[in-house]
This record gives sequence, structure tokens and C-alpha cells, in this order.
Amino acid sequence: MRNQANPWLTGNLFVLVLGMLPAIVLIGALLYFTAWAFAFSFTDLALVGRKSVEWSWVGLENFERLFTRRGFLESLWTTVIFVFFSAIVGQSVLGFLLAATLRGTQSTIRSVVEVCIMLGWLLPDIVAAFLWSATTSQTGLINQLIVVPLGFRPINFINEYALPIVTVANIWKGTAWSYLLFSAALDSVSREVVEAAKVDGATPFQRIWLVQLPIIRPHIATNMLFITIWTFTYFPLIFAMTGGGPGRQTETLAVFLYNQSFARGNLGFGSAISVAMLAIVGVLSLFYLRLLREPK
Amino acid sequence: MDNTGPSRLTAIALAFMAVIWVSPFSWLILNAFNPLSTGQLEIPKAFGFDNFGLAVSGNAGRQFINSLIIAAGTATLSVVVGISAAYPLSRLRIPGRNALLWTLVLLRMLPSAGVLVPLYFAAQRSGLLNQLGVIIALTILNLPFTLLLLKNFFDTVPIELEEAAYVEGASLLQIVTKIVLPMSRAGIAVVWFFSFTGAWNEFLLPLIFARVQDAFPMSVGLYAAFGQQGAINYGFLTAFSILYAAPAIGVYFLLRRNMNTGFAGVGVKG
Repeated sequence: MRNQANPWLTGNLFVLVLGMLPAIVLIGALLYFTAWAFAFSFTDLALVGRKSVEWSWVGLENFERLFTRRGFLESLWTTVIFVFFSAIVGQSVLGFLLAATLRGTQSTIRSVVEVCIMLGWLLPDIVAAFLWSATTSQTGLINQLIVVPLGFRPINFINEYALPIVTVANIWKGTAWSYLLFSAALDSVSREVVEAAKVDGATPFQRIWLVQLPIIRPHIATNMLFITIWTFTYFPLIFAMTGGGPGRQTETLAVFLYNQSFARGNLGFGSAISVAMLAIVGVLSLFYLRLLREPK
Repeated sequence: MDNTGPSRLTAIALAFMAVIWVSPFSWLILNAFNPLSTGQLEIPKAFGFDNFGLAVSGNAGRQFINSLIIAAGTATLSVVVGISAAYPLSRLRIPGRNALLWTLVLLRMLPSAGVLVPLYFAAQRSGLLNQLGVIIALTILNLPFTLLLLKNFFDTVPIELEEAAYVEGASLLQIVTKIVLPMSRAGIAVVWFFSFTGAWNEFLLPLIFARVQDAFPMSVGLYAAFGQQGAINYGFLTAFSILYAAPAIGVYFLLRRNMNTGFAGVGVKG
């Protein structure tokens, strides 16, 4: 009914539809490509060689390989650890703590800390990878400032503790997003509610745990949704820092997918990996969306 | 207000954290301004801008231009296509438009390496394995998110204003350019910025699309240079990294005020 009251819209329907056309074409292309990715997962298509031209349908063989060959399940486990520690524990909790603490401090301290955290987030992935490789190298900052002065031999962190190091690097890089989102969320909690809890004798911890957290629950769920999926499919930082190594210690699913598709050229198997990732991401999203919808 | 004790302690803890957070940059800066850099973390014995000179000339300068073309092209194309579709989406009652948009956004969450294979084939067949191809591909990948954000921003423009303008005799074009766009300026800036930094940082797509060195953007160029065996020129690489990181950081601080309003719209609306 709203349309009928808006003659500048109804009179120009043709123009409006014309305006939507480019977007429709591009979205159509996206859907088309996604459908192709699904289709490829049932083939033995290769990047080069004979099978890049004369590929054939192989049914569910690629999906069987996910579970019968080494690689996929190990990568899945690595990814779960990486996502849990860097996104859920690291970025989310740290981002929230920062947002909650910085609200009560002077605006100068707040801006300085904010800028510092933002620098990590704004830095291009490859530069961040470069920076962290240097920081954790044998002559890097951590060794020169902490390990050597304490009398230990310099440690080659990236070789010996690869997964923890990429996890820390990702926390360093990604916390700003959670911080910004939680900051905006906490701004939406009305001051009166918090004051009332204070008057009723709630400790600072209780004020956060029992008052603010339940109010911003939808924001928490949204944040979890975004960062879980992003981290789950995050590629450049790990790839540029370790390439998945040493061995396969940091080969998360995204790196595994790249290595299988483009380094080894198994496009069919690679597509099956991305379909499996999509399924996992879909299940996770449904879980978070339920968290978002549920009444308090 | 709290008493000064704990809040001073908090301030010290926060300052400490800020220092830790920026400490990795020390290596980058010390090496970039040291013409005799060896890649070690040390106080430079010399100081100069020679490294930056290297980082803007020849191949490196070419890569800067490439990155700029890809990022500005993607951001502008995304915003133009996005605006012309998001306004009708926001104003016309299209059944299921929100469900559709969210489905698309979730679909986009699938690892981009997954869509990359068909994208690569399509680009190869249509001769688009170049910068234009990268721009179009990135716009396709960005579009769901762009549409959702822009639609949310347009939703906040009160329709009464448009009614009033119509009564005064304004055309659709005038309504959009004189009322809707100026009022959602902040949102458009945020979307442009997101697309710009996204494309500026993009690594995987140009890595696969750009087959010759001349076409490398800075992300691929930096990766290629620092993966090289043998003599790595750290001074050059660190200066190059700083130049590569600067635009994204600079644009953010230019748009900072807008960004924070934009962020409020990202999380909550559905």
C-alpha cells in the first residue's frame, strides 16, 4: 500500500528496475559460480593436464576422500582450535573487556588505545604476516627483549610454536572489529539501567555479567557469527606466515583448500572441500542465528 | 565515579597494552628509515629515505598504481551498482527481500577460494585475467554485503522528506541526488571505505588472476618479494610495507567519524 502513496516511485518503476539490473546480473553471476563450485565437487576436474579438459563425473568420490584420506579431518581440527582460541576466546573476550574498560576512562587514553588496536586491523594481511614473522624470528623483538635477557637461547617461534603464533597474530589483527562492535553495543545500553543496578548494590562484575551482557546478547551473537565465519575461512595471514607448515601444523581448511586446488591442481577435490566448509559454516550460522532470535 | 586508585591502575594497564600492541611496528620503522638495513632489530646507525625512494620507483611504483586502480575501481563500481539497486530495494515492497539479502550475505561467507575456481574459468574464457577482471570479480563478491548495508542506510532516510520534495515538483533523479544520497552520505562513505580496503588488501584473487609481474598489486608483489630465496632487501621491503599500509590507514582516519555511525548499522539491523 505504501507504494501507491509514493507516486515518484510507482511512476518510475521502469527506471528503478533498470537501476537494479546491474546488481541482478552480478548477483546472478555469483549464484551461477556458486552452483558451478557445487557441480565441480562431483568431478575430477584438474587445473592443468588432461583432466582439465576431459574431466568426468565421479559421484561422491571426492567427499569419500575427505574422510578416508589424511588431511581434511586434521585440517578441520586445526581450524577449530584456531577459530576457538583466536576468534572466540581472543578477539571476542579481549574486545569486550577493552570496550567495557575504555568506557570508563578519559577520552585521551581511549583514543590512544583505540588507534593502537585499529592499526593492527587496518594493516593489510600480508604486511601483518611479514611483521609477525619478523617479530617472532630468532633475532626478532620477542627474543631480543624477553627471551635473551632472561638468559635463554633465542627461540625460533614460527618453527616451534607455529599454531600459537598465528593465533596470537590473528588476535592482534582482529580484536579491533569486536571492540568496535561491542563499543557500539554498550553505548546502546541505557545509563539508567546500569545506575539502578549500582544503587541496588551490584558490584562492577555483577553489573557487567547480569545487566549489560544480557542486554547486548544480540550483538554478541552477531559478533560471534561474523568473526567465527571470517576466521574459519581466513586465508592470507596464515598462508603468508607459514604456508600451512611446518609440516601441516597450521594447515587450516582455507590453506588446505588452496593447496589442494591451486598448488596440487585437484580442482574437483578442492571444490568438495569448499562445499564441506560451506556446510559447516551454514550449521554454525544457524546455531548463532537461533541464539540471536531467542527471547531473553 | 570510581576512586582514583583503580582507575589509575586501569590507565597504566591500558597504556602497557597499547605499547605491546604497537611494539611489532618498531622493527618495521627502524628498518624502513635505515638505508643500511639488514633486517635485524637494531637502532639504525644511519637515517634516510633511500628505501622509500626504491619503494616508489620501477616495479614497486607500478604495483602501487595497480593496487590503487583495483581498490578505487572496485569501491566505486560496488557503490554505484549498490546504490542503484539498494534504493529500489529499500523503497519498493519486494516480498522476501530481507531474507534474500541475508541469504546472499551468508552465501558470500563461503570461502572465496571456493568460488574462485569457477571465477577463474569464467575470467579465462572471457579474457578477463587482468585488472578489470579482478575489479569485476571483487565487486561480485562484495555486492551482497554492500547491498545489505546501503539498504539499511536508505531505510533510515524518512520517506516524508521525499514526499514533500515530490509535492514540490522534484523528479525521481532530484529526490535521489538531492535528498537520499546527501542524507546517507556517512553510510556511503563507510561502504566505499570497506570495499576500498577490502580490495586494497585482497591477496588471493590477484594472486591467481595476475599472471605477469607488471599486473601484480602490492599485496602479491610484497608476498613474492618476501618469499624470495637469497638476498632479501629488508630496507626496501619495510619501506614498501609502510607505503602499502598507509592508504588504508589514512582513509580510515579521514572517515573515522563516519565509520563509528556506520558501525552501529552493521551489527544490529536484520
